[in-house]
Amino acid sequence: MLLTGLALGIALGFTMQRGRFCVTGAFRDLWITGNTRWLTAFLIVVAVQSVGVFAMDAAGMITLAPRDFAWLATIIGAFVFGFAIVLAGGCATGTYYRAGEGLVGSWFALIFYALFAAMSKTGVFAPAVDGLRAVTVHASTIHGLLGLSPWILVAVLVTGVGLLARHHLARRPALPVAALPARKSGLAHLLFEKRWGAFSTALVIAVLAILAWPLSWATGRESGLGITGPSSALVNYLVGGDPQLIDWGVYLVVGILTGSFIAATGSGEFRVRLPDAVTTVRSIGGGALMGVGASLAGGCTIGNAMVDTATFGLQGWVSLVFMIIGTGAATRLFVTGPAKATAASLTPVRAGR
Amino acid sequence: MSQHVLETDGQVCPFPLVEAGAAIARLAPGDELVINFDCTQATDALPRWAAEQGYPVTNFERAGNAQWTITVRKT
Repeated sequence: MLLTGLALGIALGFTMQRGRFCVTGAFRDLWITGNTRWLTAFLIVVAVQSVGVFAMDAAGMITLAPRDFAWLATIIGAFVFGFAIVLAGGCATGTYYRAGEGLVGSWFALIFYALFAAMSKTGVFAPAVDGLRAVTVHASTIHGLLGLSPWILVAVLVTGVGLLARHHLARRPALPVAALPARKSGLAHLLFEKRWGAFSTALVIAVLAILAWPLSWATGRESGLGITGPSSALVNYLVGGDPQLIDWGVYLVVGILTGSFIAATGSGEFRVRLPDAVTTVRSIGGGALMGVGASLAGGCTIGNAMVDTATFGLQGWVSLVFMIIGTGAATRLFVTGPAKATAASLTPVRAGR
Repeated sequence: MSQHVLETDGQVCPFPLVEAGAAIARLAPGDELVINFDCTQATDALPRWAAEQGYPVTNFERAGNAQWTITVRKT
């Protein structure tokens, strides 16, 4: 049954690579261009998943249990995580799938993210993280706080996201979007070449995120998609050798790396790409801060902002807001601000064609 | 009318797009900007940016494994 984690991870890594699904980009676009196309795609995953999650909860397939909200650690951790993903050039899943594309900067980010997640969850930082996470309020979900049926929130979210999606679908760019010339046909073209589109990619990811709940539940891991816990467990297993640590989530993250590698190789998009010195340092710093931030917040952009939000958890929605604020702070500093790394060269060529 | 080449290989997103925006601002209308890039996400972001800005794409192709080139004309 643990192998369903590997299969789901492969499907997820494949989809994210082919669909160019990047949560960091979705948050960052808000601060660079104000564009909400990828944020809308991200919210489609949350909205569709929320329908599935509450249907499965109602059917008794899964049980959403309340837990106290560690508000202080969530706010600090989410801000740090949002800041860090701009430095690392991708969130946790983004870093896994870019590592599978051969980006050495993402290898560094991934190693330091997993190491610092383990240090924060079970290692030298664990007492501080546990101490901050002990600061809680007795509240778990938005509908619990408001005393509403979760289905009212599901209806509001689905309607709002539907309107956002309609706005984007109705909005046509000034010119048609150029596509790469096709070199494949049939299924190979669809899987390894065609542009998937932000919203269709989001729908595939939503289905996978829903499936993750019962498949993970069946193995005794009672939650949906998650990246940070499994990454920490993987490090602990690799250095301590305890096979008990290998759960569904560990198979999932190994699957994401594998699926992205398959997708990138099949589409001629795998190449070992070396970062420059500045990008290397940022990847390492970003990865380390991601591990600490996600452990404090109790989840990353996936576990908190994309999965806990679908259950209307306070931790998820507060994380989403503070991750976006953290992303904005780092974008102002490192992308649009004075410290941006500019290695590009602009060379005039004599004759026009 | 002239052509300018922007090399962004090795840069991760969003830098190819940010650099392209800065570079095209320095060109005269009718000039072409060739952007060479190896960030996979830019295969989505750059053609969409050109379409939304109303810059015609005169060339868009793979230059090799995980390497692409796109040419946009400033209008």
